[in-house]
Amino acid sequence: MQKRDAIPALFMIAASGAVFFGTAGLNFWDGVTPGARFFPAGVAGITLGLALALLWTQLRGTDQGVVDVPDRPALMRVVLTVAGLVALAAGAPVIGLVPMLMVFCAFMLVAVLRQRLLPTAITTLVIGVGTHLIFARWLAVPLPAPFGF
Amino acid sequence: MFDLLFQGFAVVFQPQNLIFVFVGVLIGQVVGALPGLGPAAGMALLLPLTFGLEPATAIMMLAGIMYGGQYGGTLTSVLINVPGEASGVMTAIDGHAMARAGRAGAALSIAAIGSFLAGMAAVMAVALITPPLASFGLKFNAPEYFLLAALGIIAMGSLGGAPIRSLIGGMIGLMVAMIGVDPLTGTPRLSFDQPALFEGIDFIPVAIGVFGIAEVLSSLERVHSVQPIRTRLRDMWLTSADWMACRFAIVRGGIIGLFVGIMPGAGASVASLLAYLSERKFSKNPEKFGTGAIDGVAAAESANNSAAHGALIPMLSLGIPGSASTAVLLAALILHGIRPGPMLMTQESGLVWALIASMFVGNIFLLIINLPLAPLFASLLRIPYVYLAPAILAISLVGAYAATLDIATVWKCIVFGVLGWLMMKFDIPRAPLVLALVLAPLMETSLRQALLLSFGSPMIFVERPISAALLVAVIVALVLPFVTAWRKRRAG
Repeated sequence: MQKRDAIPALFMIAASGAVFFGTAGLNFWDGVTPGARFFPAGVAGITLGLALALLWTQLRGTDQGVVDVPDRPALMRVVLTVAGLVALAAGAPVIGLVPMLMVFCAFMLVAVLRQRLLPTAITTLVIGVGTHLIFARWLAVPLPAPFGF
Repeated sequence: MFDLLFQGFAVVFQPQNLIFVFVGVLIGQVVGALPGLGPAAGMALLLPLTFGLEPATAIMMLAGIMYGGQYGGTLTSVLINVPGEASGVMTAIDGHAMARAGRAGAALSIAAIGSFLAGMAAVMAVALITPPLASFGLKFNAPEYFLLAALGIIAMGSLGGAPIRSLIGGMIGLMVAMIGVDPLTGTPRLSFDQPALFEGIDFIPVAIGVFGIAEVLSSLERVHSVQPIRTRLRDMWLTSADWMACRFAIVRGGIIGLFVGIMPGAGASVASLLAYLSERKFSKNPEKFGTGAIDGVAAAESANNSAAHGALIPMLSLGIPGSASTAVLLAALILHGIRPGPMLMTQESGLVWALIASMFVGNIFLLIINLPLAPLFASLLRIPYVYLAPAILAISLVGAYAATLDIATVWKCIVFGVLGWLMMKFDIPRAPLVLALVLAPLMETSLRQALLLSFGSPMIFVERPISAALLVAVIVALVLPFVTAWRKRRAG
């Protein structure tokens, strides 16, 4: 067992702790009926048990899970794509959703996926115009506009 | 029953509904054919776009994506040996071997015909089984509903290879569902003073993130172009030997698929695996399995389409989804203001029978799409995935924004996209998360109502006969995988 294999179990132990302590101010039992903390506390307890059971099976070597670690270039593509998505969500309220979407597409195709400029420009244009026509025009969704206009 | 079914057909044959059934199965065919984007992801991505439609139209279209995806997945399995989703794995084994031997057309043809015949029979079963099961469901009360919801989540784990990991996936779903307010008292809960969490986390950003964005992120790890094996229309004719080999394989696959589909938590991938393994036992030439057995393709494809339809039976009659796709469909019902459960058959009988009728029509559309037009759809596989990935992400995020008109939903999509990708990397199944998210409100309210009815005594779960039977089923589903694993270890 490698250290990284323990990440899911440790994450779940932390999550069960967050649920247990995050509901500390609520009633577990309320008169004759279970209170707002009853179900979360139960779920936290079961999750803790499952996380410990997972760790136990991993230590004994009987766990059947397979951790799939991507290689460095693959990981970089995923990290850059997520960074692009974060920039899109951060910039959309100011610059507008459709313009940010086009910037994101161009960034993804050129910087992340190393595609040529002409197919990138065509794909970006098709996605931008398509999104605008379907969502803004056809479905009349008020998408965030550039600089609030 | 037939009166209601004919009324359903009258709804389906309205031009608008007919168009949306066609659009649904067409999208299903496309998302099924695209590697790394299955029916559940396709349904989640398009769910926000259905809000402007009539509920019946929207549900018919989304269901079309669900079963259309089973047909579409065959193309990638046969032509490039990359199953569009787990249910296509068994098809890929023999289907791709046939394609390499120059029989891609025959493999696609028998898959389409088997899927069609098994699908039509399964729809008949849905029409016959759903009403009496819904009537039986009317006897259910809070204890039964709690145990049924628990069974749905636990059974998904017990049928997979790693029960602890599946249950952890379910627990993540329950934890996400608890954020927001307590469903009975309205007390704020687990929002950690964050305004974006006060109203809880909707189904849409979770489903879009965990299925749509996570799949794209995972696909981006392996960016390489795959040349699909070419197929022509004239290659699709089947010989009489093919028919003879497949006739009972389709029947057996369809029956296995239907029963597995009805079982909570099983789904199309388990159905195709069981049908393939059982067909190898029945086959006169079991040694051909794995090297291009057409009856193996027929059994697996009949089973996965039959299971996709069969999974609708518990969803429509009891409000308990049996798979990730039916969980999305159930969420769609709720988002369209329809309360699922046994009362659905009486309160929304028009919608249910229109849905059932639409599946007859949708399967006919799919047969037409998949027999003469299969080579055309196969050409879709030549579009480089790198150009599709940004488009899928764009539709995901704009669709999520359109559902709530709140940029916080886009942030949630990204967070759940990363969570879904990490779950894929660490081998934690994602389907139980979505299933648990949908079932959590029913599970919590039923548990607390049951304990309220019994003044806090847990004996209510064993005193009622149906509840006691369900409790036994829950315990068996919980214990069985561990006993099986223990026996396997002892044996070898």
